[in-house]
Amino acid sequence: MPMDTLWLIPALACYALSAALFVFDRLSGRTQATGYAVAILGAGVVFHAFDLTARGLQAGNIPVANFAQALSFLAWLTALAGLLMIVRLKLAVIGAFVAPAVTLALGAASLMMSSGHVVLPATLRSVWLPIHVILAILGYAMFVLAASVSIAYLAYESRLKSKRAIGPANEGAPSLEKLDRINYRLLGWGFVMLSLAIVSGAIWADARWGHFWSWEPIESWSLAIWVLYAGLLESRLTIGWRGRRAAALTLVVFSLLVGSIVGVNLIFPGKHGGSFG
Amino acid sequence: MDQTLFIVGINHRSAAVGLRERLAFADDEIAAALGRLRDSSPAVLEAALISTCNRVEVVGVASDTARAADETLTFLSADRKVAQAAFADVVYSSAGRDAARHLFRVGASLDSMVVGEPQILGQLKTAYAQAAEAGTVGPILHRAFHKAFSVAKHVRQDTLIGHGSVSISSVAVALAGQIFDTLKDKTVMLMGAGKMAELTARQLNALGIESLLITSRTFDHAVALARELGGTAVPYENYKPYLKMVDVLIGSLASAKPVLGPDEFESVIRERRYRPMFLIDMGVPRNFDERLNTLQNVYLYDIDDLGALVKRSIGDREREAEKAEQIVELEVESFLKWLAGLDLTPTIKDIRYSVERLRDVELGRHRGWLAQLEPAVRERVELLTHGLTNKLLHRILSGLKHHDDKTPDAAFAAEVARRLLGAELDAQVHDLDDADDDDDTGTD
Repeated sequence: MPMDTLWLIPALACYALSAALFVFDRLSGRTQATGYAVAILGAGVVFHAFDLTARGLQAGNIPVANFAQALSFLAWLTALAGLLMIVRLKLAVIGAFVAPAVTLALGAASLMMSSGHVVLPATLRSVWLPIHVILAILGYAMFVLAASVSIAYLAYESRLKSKRAIGPANEGAPSLEKLDRINYRLLGWGFVMLSLAIVSGAIWADARWGHFWSWEPIESWSLAIWVLYAGLLESRLTIGWRGRRAAALTLVVFSLLVGSIVGVNLIFPGKHGGSFG
Repeated sequence: MDQTLFIVGINHRSAAVGLRERLAFADDEIAAALGRLRDSSPAVLEAALISTCNRVEVVGVASDTARAADETLTFLSADRKVAQAAFADVVYSSAGRDAARHLFRVGASLDSMVVGEPQILGQLKTAYAQAAEAGTVGPILHRAFHKAFSVAKHVRQDTLIGHGSVSISSVAVALAGQIFDTLKDKTVMLMGAGKMAELTARQLNALGIESLLITSRTFDHAVALARELGGTAVPYENYKPYLKMVDVLIGSLASAKPVLGPDEFESVIRERRYRPMFLIDMGVPRNFDERLNTLQNVYLYDIDDLGALVKRSIGDREREAEKAEQIVELEVESFLKWLAGLDLTPTIKDIRYSVERLRDVELGRHRGWLAQLEPAVRERVELLTHGLTNKLLHRILSGLKHHDDKTPDAAFAAEVARRLLGAELDAQVHDLDDADDDDDTGTD
């Protein structure tokens, strides 16, 4: 067994257990397991960080040599940022989405990981790689978190609309206004990261191949997603689309994003070498 | 006879407010009243007086609880100048286990008008402090009140009895908190002059809001209320242009038809760029068309919606109250055990005396030949008898003090031991003054 999987299994186990506890608390309408869920998610993030470090040392760069590694890296950033939000913004409710999503992403990544020595393709060896990839993955992580906040928003919103919004399960729940504001900020930061990722990718492509843009599937899709997020932010600023509509659109664009990443990377890897961003 | 707790009183369930206020004591009267109670009631050994809007109760300690209750009633009647006949039918009294349970239930807010309301614990603490000041608290009342405080704490921690909003206005405020992150930058508009609506506006205002607008068909009323609450009065003919600024709108206009419908409201929410809006309809008939609830980011609750939520919270509290009752029951048991342990003190004294006396008598009977022995040998014989009686005493006393589920009631066991040893007879000839050697008569 390669030494790096030493950390992968405990990380995955922690994520899965934390996901189960978060979901259990959501379903039971109490918060007795939340403290444990948060702590176990934190442990998962630490184990996962060891795994990424081991792989990074092996590759001599950030561990994004293939789709599986990049997905694992995205899962880690999402878990870390989600953990910070849960603790700092008192948003335990998003754990029920973030922890399962991270478990799923890391689970899928570990299934796709080859146990042998993974070498970064020579075409990708560049200082631009960490810049471009980290920006893109940070952007995606923000979008995952925005989706989780949007789901929480829609759930609480429907309870308020249907007049069931009182009871122990709602005490300490974040207000709609707070969720909406956080969603907006996450979308804003995600959009900034995605924009910078596209720009850095274009500069890198120009340096490597002599042209900014080559209309690869992933490039076209990223541009489309970028336009959709831009529209989402624009509608809020101009018409004032917020609240339920903003949350629902966040989820629509997010599912397109997930579809494009999965589809493009698995079906048309292109020059991006099977990695995304 | 054993000392135990007793309670005599009236509360919101047994007596109307008219009678409760006639029997009530002001805070600064209580210490003096307890002094008078002690002086006039020889059977009342310890006492505290709980006087709140919902109850007037004397909690005390007595050996003859029936007599103590009678004396307390006589005292209440004389002290408050209310004929006993006026409240004889509504007074309840209990003693022993029931009295302990009553006190603990009061402290845990299980006997309150609104179950789970938090004020009663503070009132109980005040009552205890006043009794302590009056010097009418002894060891049993001390223990009983502190137990009541800890039961209350326990119940608050382990049940959700204090959770949820149990009044229309507090439900409305709680809902506002679920929609808005803060009220500091929000504008509240009160339409009409309904009591409940005004109360809700007052509560929101007290939490700190950006501004309060008040409109009413009688402009003078709006102006007066606005002046009192630091708000702004808006003429009724001209309130609509203000709607786009309003985050919380409370309606309680007397109107046969809704004053606001979805068509005109659509433009209001577009103008406020879909920022969320909370509509509280306290008018009957309703002020706001119920279709407003289907608009983007608009949340409409009418009086029935709020009432249903209040009912649910009360239902939740009642379910939690059942858990609380179990906690109370356990604590009553533990308190009574303590009380029974306390009752062993005289028994233990009697037994000890009785056994010591046996030894003295036996030594006396054999004084003759003992005197012929060498002093060193005689001393050892005396030591031997001393050792024997001590061992025997130790076994009996530790057996009495050690009680668990399998052993019979400690007081009963003590009584049996006392009879078997003939301690009762000895106690009659025993001069109690010199019996202060009760080092190991533990109390717990």
